[in-house]
Amino acid sequence: MASTTASHATPPSLSLPPSQFARLQPHAYLLAHLSPPAASNQPSLRANGRAASQFRVTSANAGSLTHTNGSAVVRIGDTAAVCGVRAEILNTEDIASWSVSHASDEQTDDKKSKSEEGDTDSQDKEDRAHIQDLNLLVPNLSLSTGCAPGFTPGAAPSALAQSLSHQLLSLLHSTRLVQADDLRIWYQPPNLEAEALGEQMDVDSEESGNPAREIKAFWVLYIDVMIISLAGNPFDAAWASVLAALRDTKLPKAWWDDDNETILCSDDIADAKKLSLRGLPIASSFCSFEADAAAGWRSVIIPDAEEQKAQEQKQKKQGMQQRWVLADPDGYEEGLSQERACVVVDKENDGKAKTVIVKMEKHGGWALDGDDMRQLVDVSAQRWDEMKRILDQC
Amino acid sequence: MTTPLVLLPSDEVPRDYLPANNSNPLRLGPGLRILSQPSSKSADSKHVLTATQAGLLTTDAKKNTVSLLSFPNRRYIPTVNDFVIAQIHHSSADFFHCMVSPHTAHALLGQLSFEGASKKTRPMLKQGELVYARVLSVGVGAGAEVELTCVSPSTGKAEGGMGPLAGGMVFDVSTGMAARLIRANNPSAEIDEIEGLVILAELDKKLDPFGGFELAVGRNGKVWVNCSDSEENTVKATVAIGRCLQETDQKNLHPHDQKKLVSKVLREMKLT
Amino acid sequence: MIGPTASLSHLHRADGSASYKCPATGYNILGAVNAPVELPGRRDALKPEEATVEVFVKPGTTTAGVGERYVEGLLRSVLGKVVLGREKGFPRRGVVLTLAIVGGENIERGDSYLTVFPALLHAGLLSMISASVPLSMTFSATLLGVTKSGDIVRDPSPAAAKAAVSLHVFAISSKNHLLLNESEGRFDFDTWELARQNAVTICQGSSKGSDGDVNMEEEKNASGNGFIRETVEDQIYSDYVYKLDSI
Repeated sequence: MASTTASHATPPSLSLPPSQFARLQPHAYLLAHLSPPAASNQPSLRANGRAASQFRVTSANAGSLTHTNGSAVVRIGDTAAVCGVRAEILNTEDIASWSVSHASDEQTDDKKSKSEEGDTDSQDKEDRAHIQDLNLLVPNLSLSTGCAPGFTPGAAPSALAQSLSHQLLSLLHSTRLVQADDLRIWYQPPNLEAEALGEQMDVDSEESGNPAREIKAFWVLYIDVMIISLAGNPFDAAWASVLAALRDTKLPKAWWDDDNETILCSDDIADAKKLSLRGLPIASSFCSFEADAAAGWRSVIIPDAEEQKAQEQKQKKQGMQQRWVLADPDGYEEGLSQERACVVVDKENDGKAKTVIVKMEKHGGWALDGDDMRQLVDVSAQRWDEMKRILDQC
Repeated sequence: MTTPLVLLPSDEVPRDYLPANNSNPLRLGPGLRILSQPSSKSADSKHVLTATQAGLLTTDAKKNTVSLLSFPNRRYIPTVNDFVIAQIHHSSADFFHCMVSPHTAHALLGQLSFEGASKKTRPMLKQGELVYARVLSVGVGAGAEVELTCVSPSTGKAEGGMGPLAGGMVFDVSTGMAARLIRANNPSAEIDEIEGLVILAELDKKLDPFGGFELAVGRNGKVWVNCSDSEENTVKATVAIGRCLQETDQKNLHPHDQKKLVSKVLREMKLT
Repeated sequence: MIGPTASLSHLHRADGSASYKCPATGYNILGAVNAPVELPGRRDALKPEEATVEVFVKPGTTTAGVGERYVEGLLRSVLGKVVLGREKGFPRRGVVLTLAIVGGENIERGDSYLTVFPALLHAGLLSMISASVPLSMTFSATLLGVTKSGDIVRDPSPAAAKAAVSLHVFAISSKNHLLLNESEGRFDFDTWELARQNAVTICQGSSKGSDGDVNMEEEKNASGNGFIRETVEDQIYSDYVYKLDSI
């Protein structure tokens, strides 16, 4: 920071330009930004100029890809993710276990959902059975070559890409974002018996009067995410792009054609239907940066959780903060911290009701405790409002 | 003696377990480290000993040492002055590259670090041959290379049987067993230091009529056995010794069972 | 409730090994550690002054997929923080942990991995201890399910876990730190906090409010950290029985 004053006229000085300091002593560089000397009257900012709980500038654009059913590009700072959703038809005839496992309980399911519309519980179970067991959502994330140094062409999907794919899938399942009913293609057989048998039907009219509709096929959504530029925090960007792409997704009207014994789709855009998603879960990631670069390694006793808390509060009073929780870390900050946290929140009733947490995780250290997590949930709730605005506009 | 104490990582060593003798500096064995209380005021700085591994705390009042006996199956980590049995992997201009433990970098053994070796008289060891050597240095920090030697640096002599091991056979035992064998074989070992290992004494007694045997124990969990009897019995006796040692190690046999094992194995091998 | 069972050092060719069986969730994990070993490929790009922790998870009946990659990453980050990778012989080397899911419900693609997580953590920690990898602390973990009525259930069975509104995994260190948290489902912060306090009690045992020595002892052993300690003590005592006899 001080080195910027070095002018070109003077002989080579011992001070370094900030960019070199940042590379040689990354930890000290970030620390110097976060804890400026008291005399300088500077606020505590991160090396990228953000406050500790400030997210990067986020932009989203939906429908960027023309040949998909839904697509979105989300950019969070220098991290950019493209997501495309492609819908394909899965005939129930092609599902090996379909006739065994589902044909029998289908009618009861159907009845139940008709009779007790409000009973979300049984519907949940049904959704889970269909979406999860039949793998109707297939997210895949790839970190494309050149998105960050170190991603070489032709390499197998990295462990990071694989684990992000899993995170997307398990979040899609656990939030039950997509409703199974949107993915079902029904067939209502015409009431032929009624015509043929005429008035003899009184005995068991309830059962055969209206032949049960049956599921003939499912839509399978292939959700492909490509991180085209990786500058830290890929999960938030990837999830936001999946969310935006699913909000954009339109499925064509499809029906079973009994004469051709096949599924037909309408090519009229007016017939296409958007997915009705359950809520709007927004992910926010954090990392914890510690003042002591070798925390836990130096020859000091690791204090108990209670002692540690007391110590921290004491140090905070003295103006010596030892640890910062940084929201939306960039690649530079991620390299300097081991402890990560991620909170996914949703607000019921379109943001008017209370905040619901749908996923929370933290690992890689022991500095963040319950109180920190409470603050992170609050920050994530604020982020939800911001992201909702951005996604609504796109 | 206080009750035996098992420590887990991050457990503190209680002060009353430390040797009371304060004249010599206290020496810490592996698995223990000294930590200081992080404190802004240096006045009340407090030091404690904590364990980094799980193990049984043992102290030696005479030598003023504290050490932690960890699991016997652990991997050998080279420590200066340990005797090891190394296998030559290949040789280069100045060094033999030796294998000390599996999946680790090769240790270096100088071509001239043998007793009386010169450019002309140095031993020409081939791949696969064995040496009984001592760890000379383990280097510092990342990328450190382990160096071995077959001579004592102070005297230039091959003390303690160091040098190439000809003939015989090597058996793998756990590192804990190797350490036990070394302690038990120490000529100055007292009865309580034999550590319940009667197997060697028993084998020695029983195999004496067959010409006895030679044994070298490496801290890296290797035991080299050589018998000097006639062709037929050499192999039998060597295998018998190896089996006895390995079984004692794996089943952690009681002294009583060790004697039984020796009789059983020798009977099976028709060496009685 | 039937407590978990564990045993140490039963694989002779590995530097350290452990098996952990949790009857409540039905999982049986076998873990093996080799450390310190030379890792293939140049590791200089990573931190050369520390040991690299590598974790491999093998599911019982299928090949490892994306779910396992994710769990491996989490285990690596938890254990990597606990391992003292700068102790003698460890810098630039690798600590390789392999965990095989030997028994229990099969985890399908996209299923939540939370149900096996505590068992994997325990097996991993015990294997590390058994290989004498230097550690800065020990920990224990627990799985909590919150039912529809708001009750918190400890170690729910796979069926109960599926029915739960939210699932929480906590790993609490021997010094009461929150080392790991993984929660999913629908919940609010108060529920999470309640679950966390429950987890601390389960892992540490309640030190306060017990009446008498016998009770204290029982509670200590029933706690997660108490269980880890007991397992390790049993193994050390049996390994050094010759030493203890002479004392």
